[in-house]
Amino acid sequence: MHRRSLLGGAAALPAAALSTASLPTASLAQPANARVLKFVPQANLTSLDPIWTTANVTRNHAWLVYDVLYGMDARFQPQPQMAAGHTVEDEGRAWTFTLRDGLRFHDGEPVRATDCVASLRRWMKRNPNGQKIEPLVDELVALDDRRLRFRLKRAFPRLLASLANPSNPAAFIMPERIARTDPFQQIRETVGSGPFRFLPREYNSGSFVAYERNPDYQPISSGAASLTAGPKVAHFDRIEWHIITDAATAAAALQAGEIDWYEQPSPEIQQLFRRNRQIVVEPIDILPNPAILRFNHLHPPFNDKKIRQALLPAVDQSDYMTAIVGPDPAGFSSMGIFTPGTPLANDAGMGALLGPRSIDRSKALLREAGYANQPIRLIGPTDILAPAALTQVAVDMFRKLEVNLDFVLTDWGSVIQRRASREPVEKGGWSTFLTAFSSFEFADPAGNFPLRGNGAAAWFGWPTIPRLEELRDAWFDAPDIEAQQRLAREIQLTALDEVPYIPVGAYLSMTSLRRNLSGRVPGFALFWNLKRS
Amino acid sequence: MFAYAVRRVLATIPVMAIVALFVFSLLYIAPGDPAAVIAGDQATPQDVERIRASLGLDRPFLVRFGEWVWNILNGDMGVSIFTNLPVTTMIQQRIEPTVSLMVLTLCLAVSIAVPMGVIAAWKQGSWIDRAVMGFAVLGFSVPVFVVGYVLAYIFALELDWLPVQGYTKFEEGFFPWLENLILPSIALGGVYIALIARITRATMLEVLQQDYIRTARAKGAGQRNILFLHALKNAAVPIVTVIGIGIALLIGGAVVTESVFAIPGLGRLTVDAILRRDYPVIQGVVLLFSFVYVLVNLVIDLAYTLFDPRIRY
Repeated sequence: MHRRSLLGGAAALPAAALSTASLPTASLAQPANARVLKFVPQANLTSLDPIWTTANVTRNHAWLVYDVLYGMDARFQPQPQMAAGHTVEDEGRAWTFTLRDGLRFHDGEPVRATDCVASLRRWMKRNPNGQKIEPLVDELVALDDRRLRFRLKRAFPRLLASLANPSNPAAFIMPERIARTDPFQQIRETVGSGPFRFLPREYNSGSFVAYERNPDYQPISSGAASLTAGPKVAHFDRIEWHIITDAATAAAALQAGEIDWYEQPSPEIQQLFRRNRQIVVEPIDILPNPAILRFNHLHPPFNDKKIRQALLPAVDQSDYMTAIVGPDPAGFSSMGIFTPGTPLANDAGMGALLGPRSIDRSKALLREAGYANQPIRLIGPTDILAPAALTQVAVDMFRKLEVNLDFVLTDWGSVIQRRASREPVEKGGWSTFLTAFSSFEFADPAGNFPLRGNGAAAWFGWPTIPRLEELRDAWFDAPDIEAQQRLAREIQLTALDEVPYIPVGAYLSMTSLRRNLSGRVPGFALFWNLKRS
Repeated sequence: MFAYAVRRVLATIPVMAIVALFVFSLLYIAPGDPAAVIAGDQATPQDVERIRASLGLDRPFLVRFGEWVWNILNGDMGVSIFTNLPVTTMIQQRIEPTVSLMVLTLCLAVSIAVPMGVIAAWKQGSWIDRAVMGFAVLGFSVPVFVVGYVLAYIFALELDWLPVQGYTKFEEGFFPWLENLILPSIALGGVYIALIARITRATMLEVLQQDYIRTARAKGAGQRNILFLHALKNAAVPIVTVIGIGIALLIGGAVVTESVFAIPGLGRLTVDAILRRDYPVIQGVVLLFSFVYVLVNLVIDLAYTLFDPRIRY
């Protein structure tokens, strides 16, 4: 007996007695369902503003709803999306962008250059690339409805790459009235011009999010879909996000065919799925996600460069990665400062990370550095898969090093509050924590914020490393990829000497779909071009 | 009795005030920062500070508490820090699944547990009694989530009789609604059935020893009449009390059950809000749960008069 015949049969008895009119409805339901994609996201969609928050789940939501002037292809080349093209004049100081014909927001209004100007102004306040561009902007204006112009104080070769960067937050275009919202306040309307339209009436945070195909969306006519570039063809009439927080329930729902796509199953559940012929397990992104061990540079012992360096021989990246993805070496790779497989990844100074691993060597280096048994407080979560697994390996490593370790395991919400404390350990501060990032964030020095060495303004840990800042500035001004790669090698050498953090490896994040889905664009949870065969 | 009911309702006001102060203080001193959660991993400390200031989370405790109480008194539970939706709207979105789950569980539990307890008492020492008591021990011992997973595995994955997860609104049809709630109700009801069955059995055993039962038997009253008409009515007060106390059990169990079966109810809303430190939502939901609990106890107290005419208010 199957589900349809259990209660469905009971329901059919009175219905059949009353009328036969329900029969056509039932027969129509099947093809309609086939045009609906049911997806379980990695987390609850709590905020709808991709500029206000940098949560990845909000980024994924935003790529359904919004569009950008330039997309980024998988080779990290910017490609036109909303823009028909651009011209560069005045030795790289004046950039004029022209919008494609026929672009419309979901409320029916045409997309105008003024909307783009307001959106980019808001984006520049929050995105690391944008923050670099903003002080260089002499003028950002709409020349007419279809053209906008950046006039810069000096040439900035990475302007196009910055606009196309898919990292949080991407340069999403919103209507001017919405984009005028303070970037530190949340927008109150979700109106984009992307391939799917958000359905606010059906939004139930913590449970359900729905989108419908935007019939007015016109995919660009050339190129192939690649990351956020190329034609974005919506094959489903409706996308439903079912927020299922319990991993076992989400797994059972995918196996039962109640959902089509489970974004981020744990390694144990992936094993289960691999035994099911109806389910495909594959990397969501061809690039791996970097993970790091971060130090607090304000207080002993990790305010001492030699003590940070002393830990390098003890870190075995395969231990950390095995804890996240299991022992299959195909699931992870070693890494330096930049995401493996990206143009800036290099082997400069990698002996420090990939040479012979030795706890004894680290112990000796700690003694030489004058480590005086100061307390080391490791903070970490128990409720987020990757950081929780990384933290457990780090606890083991510090125990083997016989340091004065105090580890505090709590929920992620408490960790991210606690890591903001600049106090010493005895006043509730911290010494180190571990976390992981999206591949795109570590693809270059702009997105790699733990690499910043700008002291009090830097990311949690607050390292002061002027040389890294100089190299970062030089990279922004590098005229071509060769120059960028030279600087990337120098950045990596400096970082592995100064040790703002220790890279602990990069792992492939796996996703699981019903086998009847095809055409998924690798990168993150992107919904265009995906179809049911 | 009306005057008593009014007095009890008025007495809920200081109780709710204490609950409000307790919840607000607890959240104030608890670790966690919604601004940091909002800002995400990539935000700088400066970004987090600016978001905190824009949310008003940097203001002193008394200012925030005073403002919150004033708004509550004006019927405004505030706005979710994350979704920007009014807390009342979020509760409205979530109340139907939780009420459905609890009502169905309650009906299921009472209709199974009370006859079980009565029969166990009637057949004291028999295999039926031992089976009922064995079930009760099992109901108490096995966690709700384990029962939930086992039921989902058997009836949803293996047999494909019922859905694994989700909720269908009552307005979309009784059977689709029921289909989604059968497994969660059984999972949630296990401990509740065990509790009520044990209390029913114990109370019935006591009542069945009374003289008036012997008299009824001597006068030739039938077994069914003795059990359900004479004995059960006199055993009802402790049973009803336990049913009332069990509402708290149900509220706690609903949090787990809703997570296991992905039911978009108030339990999941509470857990999600706690994990991301959405203070207005946590405060609103806890206040609501406290109010419901106080109200249920009042109803139980008033219900005593129906079963025991000696009780007068």
